[in-house]
Amino acid sequence: MKAQLEITGLEKRFGGLVAVNQVDFSLAKGEVVGLLGPNGSGKTTVLNMISGAIAADKGDIVFRGTNLSRLKPHRISKLGVARTFQLVRTLPTLSVAENVLISFAYGRRRLWGREADTLVEEKLAFVGLEGRGGERVGNLTYIDQKRMELARALASEPSLLLLDEWLAGLNPSELQIGIDLVRQLQGEGVTVLLVEHIMEAVRALCSRCIVMNAGQIIASGESAEVLKMPEVVRAYLGDDDA
Amino acid sequence: MSSKLKFGLIVCVWLVFAAAPFYLSDYGTGLLLGMSGYATLATAWALFSGPTRYVSLATVAFFGTGAYTVAVLSEVMPYPLVLLVAAAIGCALAAVVGLSTLRLAGVYFVIFTFGLAELVRQTVTWWEVNITHTLGRYIFLPLEGRHIYWQLLALLTLTLIISWLIGRSRLGLALKAVGDDESVAAHVGIDVTRAKLLLFMLSATIITLVGAIQAPRWTYIEPSIVFNPTLSFLTLIMALLGGPGRLWGPMVGAIPLFLLFEWLSANFPNHFSIILGLLFIMIVFVMPNGVLAKFDDLRRGSN
Amino acid sequence: MLEHLINGLVLGGTYALIAMGLTLQYGIARIMNLAFGDTIIVACFGTFVLFSGYQLSPLLALFVLVPAGFALSYAIFFFIMQPLVERAPHTAALEVDSILVTFGLLFVIQGILLVVFGGAYTSYSFLNTPVDLLGTTVAANRLSALVLALVLGAILIFVLFRTRWGMMLRAVALAPESAPLYGIDVTRVARYAFSIGGALAASGGVVISMYQTFTATAGVVFTMKALIVVILGGKGSVFGALVAGLILGVVETFVAAYIDPGLTLAATYTVFLGILLIRPTGLFGKGG
Repeated sequence: MKAQLEITGLEKRFGGLVAVNQVDFSLAKGEVVGLLGPNGSGKTTVLNMISGAIAADKGDIVFRGTNLSRLKPHRISKLGVARTFQLVRTLPTLSVAENVLISFAYGRRRLWGREADTLVEEKLAFVGLEGRGGERVGNLTYIDQKRMELARALASEPSLLLLDEWLAGLNPSELQIGIDLVRQLQGEGVTVLLVEHIMEAVRALCSRCIVMNAGQIIASGESAEVLKMPEVVRAYLGDDDA
Repeated sequence: MSSKLKFGLIVCVWLVFAAAPFYLSDYGTGLLLGMSGYATLATAWALFSGPTRYVSLATVAFFGTGAYTVAVLSEVMPYPLVLLVAAAIGCALAAVVGLSTLRLAGVYFVIFTFGLAELVRQTVTWWEVNITHTLGRYIFLPLEGRHIYWQLLALLTLTLIISWLIGRSRLGLALKAVGDDESVAAHVGIDVTRAKLLLFMLSATIITLVGAIQAPRWTYIEPSIVFNPTLSFLTLIMALLGGPGRLWGPMVGAIPLFLLFEWLSANFPNHFSIILGLLFIMIVFVMPNGVLAKFDDLRRGSN
Repeated sequence: MLEHLINGLVLGGTYALIAMGLTLQYGIARIMNLAFGDTIIVACFGTFVLFSGYQLSPLLALFVLVPAGFALSYAIFFFIMQPLVERAPHTAALEVDSILVTFGLLFVIQGILLVVFGGAYTSYSFLNTPVDLLGTTVAANRLSALVLALVLGAILIFVLFRTRWGMMLRAVALAPESAPLYGIDVTRVARYAFSIGGALAASGGVVISMYQTFTATAGVVFTMKALIVVILGGKGSVFGALVAGLILGVVETFVAAYIDPGLTLAATYTVFLGILLIRPTGLFGKGG
């Protein structure tokens, strides 16, 4: 099967620090893959390079035949890559509906007017914010802001969705709702790259996992096996003797 | 109020203003002229700076460019064509400035626009002294105060319509998003630099036209007259006080402040700039959460 | 050629001096001071008054005007900036507020100068005797201006890098958020940085008045040049300001000598934009 996203030799330095070093991996269409690793291991940097938030120093990111590594975020978005942010980032002076509408307006089909409004309502309903489009973003609870951010990402009609700890900070019942939403997306054929610390979600959603530590991939393969590997456990728990 | 009634009311008020030169004295028309000039400047300024929060201090650079274009070309070209050329020059200047500074952090933009008026003034002076060997220029155009006023009123109306249309368009939404969080805006597919550049050019073109239209009022102009930084300053205060995020805000700010400044400059001609400066410092202090918050408050209120 | 180089260095030394002042205000006190150049002009007129009214040599005027610049800036920070710093929820808000307030201040200072001195070009003749230097002649006032700029710059660098107090200033410049954790009173440091910046502006004014004409409305140009030097050199970098100042001075002098004196500002802007587009963090700023 031809890969939808193919990353080869990806590298990024911040001053003297090598944040991402020789990272290669690929995603097939419709896969949900976990990108794991302790804090500071370079996961978010990889995500930032795919979405164009920062430029890679070296390497290629080929998405459906197009090399993204020299493109600006808005070009990448139009090609069908959407993302959420590690800390929820809303557009606070826009209403909830406008936060989603903006993605349709500048998405692949450049939708505007009544058709877009109907679709916004659909997306809001999908994430569980039915009928709340007129509210101020500031009045939403944390989980509802996360829902809105997902709706905004989905309104770009992406084929690849990058979720940066989107499930973090949710309580158990919210987490279940979140997992179900992602699963539903997978059912619709969206490829998902999931940066996540919550193992329960990773086990439930990801067929495959990639584990990073100190900027490098230290393990990858089937989730159940990868999560048992001693080097993965060590990377998470620290390799002190203690 | 129903929107039809509102529209009717606006049209009535507009007609009253349009007919004003017929029942006002020349002095009254002159006041209205100045007022509509500043209302247009403030509205045009807010068109770009309101949603993006890029504080532009370059108003007079464009205004002066417009005025000077008229002074240079009014004898060799028909008047409407001169206005078109002025608009084109302002637009091109804005494109150069915008392309080189709008990709950078906001503070660089502020700094650059701060010095732009001085740069343009010196360059024009250099050009006049070395290339054309003149400095001051006379403008002989058969335009009376009321003609200038009508042109400004038309431009103001056009600016308000443009501002209203943008506010309802996808571009307007995009600009608000850019003002909120440029990175998110880029990630939902907005070409942030292009959106900012487009609006900056539009705003600058209107400002240039105000300068071009007002130029015949002076009869004699030279760089130090038309590139007076006080104009940038006044425009900024008017738009800020009225509310840069609202359609009518800048205009509402412009009218009383114009009258106040007119009174101040008539009664304290020598101390005008001191009073102006003190007033402005006070204004910044009066805004309890700072000026930046003012952008948000009013935008929230307008939704 | 050599004459232009020396004149360029004189000008550059002055730019470096005032830019060091602005970098203290912007890099440490976090105030983008658009009235900075007007402080310089005040000192120019101060020197002029002391020299022509009281026959006080500009070199001695330094001892009056530098403390005065310090005191004035201290007062401005204490009464105007500090309330803004304290209420600002984040840097962007402070940046906008300080830009606007100092924009207002610019008009106040300029207005006062216009009322007192009028708008004419002003200058005085001091040490206007030719000195033979390396086979070329330079005016003595320019030479002493360069020496003065270098001495003052050296004192500042010594204070910043060799004293405990200078270390505190640099700590605040590098990490304003974590400096309080080391027991540093950031507001106090900012107040002193702003005041020293004002003192440097005053000394720059004295130096400038020794060899240049000036007007009440020339402040904008000096603010711009100082800002450009600060950005070229990298925000908060004293060494960067020094090098960038010298470069700018030499470039300007050569443009004035070989192209046209009316185009120096245009040349300055071109250099500024060129550097910004290639390296937005400045020549010596941290890459990122």
